[in-house]
Amino acid sequence: MLLREILPALPAEKAFAARMVANAIAIAAREMAQEDPEPALLARIAALAGDARAFAAAIREGRFDPGTPRHAEAAALLQDITRARCAVSAPRAIGKG
Amino acid sequence: MDEARRARLTAWLRAASGDAALRIEGMALLSGGAIQQNWALDVSGGREWVLRTDNAARLAVSHGRGQEYALLRAAFAAGVTVPEPLFLCEDAAVIGAPFFVMRRVAGTAAAHRVVRSETLGGGREACVRALGRELARIHAIRPPREDLAFLGAPPADACRAFIAAQRAALDRQRTPRPVLEWGLRHLERTAPPPVPPVLVHNDFRTGNIMLDENGVTAVLDWEFAAWSDPHADLGWLCAKCWRFGNDAQEAGGIGPRAAFYEGYGAVEDARVRWWELAAHIRWAAIAVDQAERHISGAERSLELALTGHMVPGLEWEILRMVEGRDAA
Repeated sequence: MLLREILPALPAEKAFAARMVANAIAIAAREMAQEDPEPALLARIAALAGDARAFAAAIREGRFDPGTPRHAEAAALLQDITRARCAVSAPRAIGKG
Repeated sequence: MDEARRARLTAWLRAASGDAALRIEGMALLSGGAIQQNWALDVSGGREWVLRTDNAARLAVSHGRGQEYALLRAAFAAGVTVPEPLFLCEDAAVIGAPFFVMRRVAGTAAAHRVVRSETLGGGREACVRALGRELARIHAIRPPREDLAFLGAPPADACRAFIAAQRAALDRQRTPRPVLEWGLRHLERTAPPPVPPVLVHNDFRTGNIMLDENGVTAVLDWEFAAWSDPHADLGWLCAKCWRFGNDAQEAGGIGPRAAFYEGYGAVEDARVRWWELAAHIRWAAIAVDQAERHISGAERSLELALTGHMVPGLEWEILRMVEGRDAA
């Protein structure tokens, strides 16, 4: 709506700024519409590695490499964390929007 | 630019060019990058130049103007299609920051236009073949080079040096990035053996390459150049995150990968693929850093803040790539 009605009324050099504003509003709207996925994801991170920093460090040390017992669990968790973030920031990446 | 600066610039250009009658007839700010400003200079005698200088906020990882000038000279001498570098002024007193002057080149670099055009660069296949040839010329520049001493010692193993540098950058961030760690760990597990380092442009992608209807008119933005694995440049251009939505054309959204490789010469495809994953991680880390500059207040900008929202999409792609590579 913003782009359809406002963009044609703007000089060409303001189009980029208008698109940025529209993009920011769309991100904020998606964030409000989403049920907060953080508590469930944080609980899974806690169960797997303690906290996000420890999870990152464990990945770096190779403790979730392919062939380790919890590799699949770690991969699935990373996927779910990223899907939740994409739902707000980049719905097209995960085939929505 | 105010009158006093313009007068100082005119005097400086007269001395540098040896033309005591030189006059600046026109001066206009071109679309500058986040890091630098470019001014179009129209100079007496029909000379069309570009003046390039620093913006207030500069990324710590990019080279200053003097170093970029040295890179441009090395590339020009190696036959790379770049604007001819003319004069360097390292004295900040003239216009407020160091600058250099180069010849102005016609063409368009705008990524979204380039990937949609069937004719720019001489057509899709011809264009990516030409880009391959340009890269091969860049990669013919090899260490040691006294004029490029500021690039430091070449890494013994560019792949492992990349991983170490990215990890160090992540350690400077406030927020841990498990997905980027996941990608880096995969790169570590699958790193190919080292090859002799060459000069890599390090930002050779659609948007930084100027084209007209006949071909490549300029390879721009040399400020990230480094000694590294030549496949780093091939992977950066081919990475999906730099195809600007035109995913089917794997070389930069412009043309087919095979034609690009042919133009280049000998290519180890598996190494290029390794660097394509590396490219996604590097771009995500830059985006994280740009968003952090906004959040920390170092530079308030909606554009920087929105760049931060590109990170999840890149992370999604990184997970897909690692999964595919591990399954292969």
